[in-house]
Amino acid sequence: MIQFKALLKKELKEAFRDKRALMVAMMMAIMAPIMIFAMSKMMIKEMVSTPAVYVKITGSEYAPKLIKALADDNIKLFSDVPTDDAMLWDERNIQLTIPETFAQDMMDGKRIDVYLNADFSEKSMSAPLRRIKAAINQYAQTIGYKRLLVRGIDVNLLRPVNLIEQDTSSPSSNFLMISMMLGLYLLMAAFMSGLSVAIDTSAGERERNVLEMLLCQPVSTLKIVLAKLSCASTIAFIGVLLTISLTFASIGFVDLTKIGASFSLDLSAVVIIVAMLLPICFLASALQLFFSFQAKSFKEAQSSVTMVVMIPAMLPFIMTFIDDKPKWFDWVPVTGQSLIMEDIFKGLAVDWTNLALTTLITIILTAVLVVTLAKKLTSEKVVQSLS
Amino acid sequence: MREYWKKILTIGLLAYSSQSFALTEKLTIEDCHIDGIKQQVKCGTLQVPENYQQPNGTQININFAVIPAIDRTQNKEPLMFLAGGPGQAAAEIAATLRQGFTEVRKTRDLILVDQRGTGKSHPLQCDEVEGNSPYTSIPEELDLEDVKQCLAQLEGDLSQYNTENAIRDFDAVRAALGHEKITIYGGSYGTRAGLVYMRMFPQSLSAVVLDSVGPIEVPIGTFGQSSARSFNMLLAHCMEEESCKQAYPDLAQEFATVIERLEENPITVTITHPRLGTPTEFVISRLKFISTIRMQLYSVEMRTMVPLIIHQAFLGNFAPLAGLTAAQESSMGMYVGLLFNIVCNEDLPRISDEMWRKDADNNFGQDASHLAWKTVCPIWPQYRLGESFYQAVTADIPTLIISGDVDPVTPPSNGDYADKSLPNSKHIILKNSAHTPGPSTCAIDIIDEFLTKKDPNDLDESCLEKIPSESFMTSLNGSI
Repeated sequence: MIQFKALLKKELKEAFRDKRALMVAMMMAIMAPIMIFAMSKMMIKEMVSTPAVYVKITGSEYAPKLIKALADDNIKLFSDVPTDDAMLWDERNIQLTIPETFAQDMMDGKRIDVYLNADFSEKSMSAPLRRIKAAINQYAQTIGYKRLLVRGIDVNLLRPVNLIEQDTSSPSSNFLMISMMLGLYLLMAAFMSGLSVAIDTSAGERERNVLEMLLCQPVSTLKIVLAKLSCASTIAFIGVLLTISLTFASIGFVDLTKIGASFSLDLSAVVIIVAMLLPICFLASALQLFFSFQAKSFKEAQSSVTMVVMIPAMLPFIMTFIDDKPKWFDWVPVTGQSLIMEDIFKGLAVDWTNLALTTLITIILTAVLVVTLAKKLTSEKVVQSLS
Repeated sequence: MREYWKKILTIGLLAYSSQSFALTEKLTIEDCHIDGIKQQVKCGTLQVPENYQQPNGTQININFAVIPAIDRTQNKEPLMFLAGGPGQAAAEIAATLRQGFTEVRKTRDLILVDQRGTGKSHPLQCDEVEGNSPYTSIPEELDLEDVKQCLAQLEGDLSQYNTENAIRDFDAVRAALGHEKITIYGGSYGTRAGLVYMRMFPQSLSAVVLDSVGPIEVPIGTFGQSSARSFNMLLAHCMEEESCKQAYPDLAQEFATVIERLEENPITVTITHPRLGTPTEFVISRLKFISTIRMQLYSVEMRTMVPLIIHQAFLGNFAPLAGLTAAQESSMGMYVGLLFNIVCNEDLPRISDEMWRKDADNNFGQDASHLAWKTVCPIWPQYRLGESFYQAVTADIPTLIISGDVDPVTPPSNGDYADKSLPNSKHIILKNSAHTPGPSTCAIDIIDEFLTKKDPNDLDESCLEKIPSESFMTSLNGSI
């Protein structure tokens, strides 16, 4: 035990010595809340605000009430555009053409064709165009209903079947986007935060000839591996803790209610998530150590480990594209945890058997990696990076 | 550090214990669906005595729904909605309210209690009389036998289905849900209920919104003058709009002519049934014409059609009237038993012959709105509330009073009564707005600000200026 303690102390000392490298490693954790904060703010703004839209309307004088209906939705005539925005809206060039016969056709009950010309593929135009369409459809529908009503027709005839949707999910209103991003970032943090430390303590030490000296000491290779693992996973775990706490702190500054959403987790949910991610941190560090010892050089380790490690970290992201998730996703490390986190964010009950199973498999996998690595370190090939 | 964790744990426990405290055996709450709302809401019932003087006597179940706030972390007091009528069931109009109160709902739970006698709280409802088509029946031939049949169907001690007991129920629901204080919003008759609530349980309320006030000093039932005022404003607004003036230059005269014709004899025409498409008889009498027009005066959207309806009727085309009858048929339900029970007992006895006469002295419907009360109330079982019930309410609670200027039943002068007697109130009048304009875009922002600030005299009322003027349909195909 004393030996292990000494080894761990040495590893931690080395990891924390280079403060700037550590800071960069923790960037991941700080990035997450900033990203989530910025993206939510942007989305809210896009969903809530109805900034003025300026449309070049030809024939506006033929349909004053339609123009008024548009103005009520903050859709205005191009002639009223403030000089600052004139360039922009001139370039966007949204054109609405109202026919000269509008008044007569309205009185005659004929269909009136109004033309909307714009670049529909331009992304920045989608919101203004959607609003113009909605406003005109609403205007037309109201007139249509009234036309039927004053002819003595029950307007309900237009809706023979009324579909009533009933959502059976639990009434938690946690904002889906934040849940998804937080889940991704937590797993990324577990995999990325300890990465540089893991590479440095393995491939790095080998190149600096520290490893050889260490192996000369009368300690078992298992203890050495465990110490390195503990050190790297501690850093990873700190990354996870930072991500989750900073995210919560930053979410408080976003007014999600504006879009009818909120984000809150109770203490027990946070505890479960953090506890569940602890074994993942160990697995991540074990994988990183394993692959960087496999690499020939420090350089190779840096690129290959990053590549190899990205795969499990990206799994949850890939999973969002799979609709029918196979059963084994429930207990495979990373995907299992990811699915349980999804349930927690949705306010569903935690499936304890799945949680136990996936945690057990994660631990077993970590143990196998550690034991294999300890065995490998007794071989000259690995220590001298010969193949 | 360790102590900090302990604190978090105790806070968690407190939150849980207060929740379980509220769950007495008389209260049940479960997740449920309400028509028109996709997400699940909470539905509950609370058992209360039918007669509060006999707490161990007959028990009835009060039904309520809670629409949870979007963000519950702010712990703001919920808003309880007091429905109109009397006879409207709050939980039945949950979907409409949820939409109208989106701004408020973001941080506050909405509590919707079915007033006793409505909805699922021991409803006092009469079954539709078989073969009584809204197209052939006319208000003049109101059949007392139907009323008696209806009365025979009603169960329970009717004298207990009064406003004061309804307020006791509301406050019992508040307490059972574990809220020390709530805010309330009353619309139409709901303002009367709200005023009584303010008097009976002032300590339970932190802020009150009264939308389209029915003050205790003004009896419900005399709508002659207020409808005429609303109708005359509509005529004036039509003359102010160039297109309306052009389309209907003699609108007032045309209305008078139609009434004159109908006064002689009801007119019978054959129309295509609005829903079935088959030929149907349609009988139009003076009262039917006036009451249909009067119903349209309640909303700005329906008012747009009134000049057209009058003009078409003048030309002999009653199809628009049939369309409106169809629209009314499918509109929200009113628990008529409770409506008559409360109005006949709490308001009608306060109306003197002199008041009836004055109210009928108008150029719109004269005494058209009186007939139903005068026919039904004499045979309705009686109860009387104490004289203290009719005293003006003086509770010192921040109160926002809202009136729609063109409202046909609760004109702005009604709001002034409440504004005068309440020490901490502000009366806001929305121009070109009709009955219960509270959920409209402009008013709802003011309401939300008021519920947060709780100071009726410090509100941003700038949007009041921007309410558009009334606009009307100038032909059967619309207007330009």
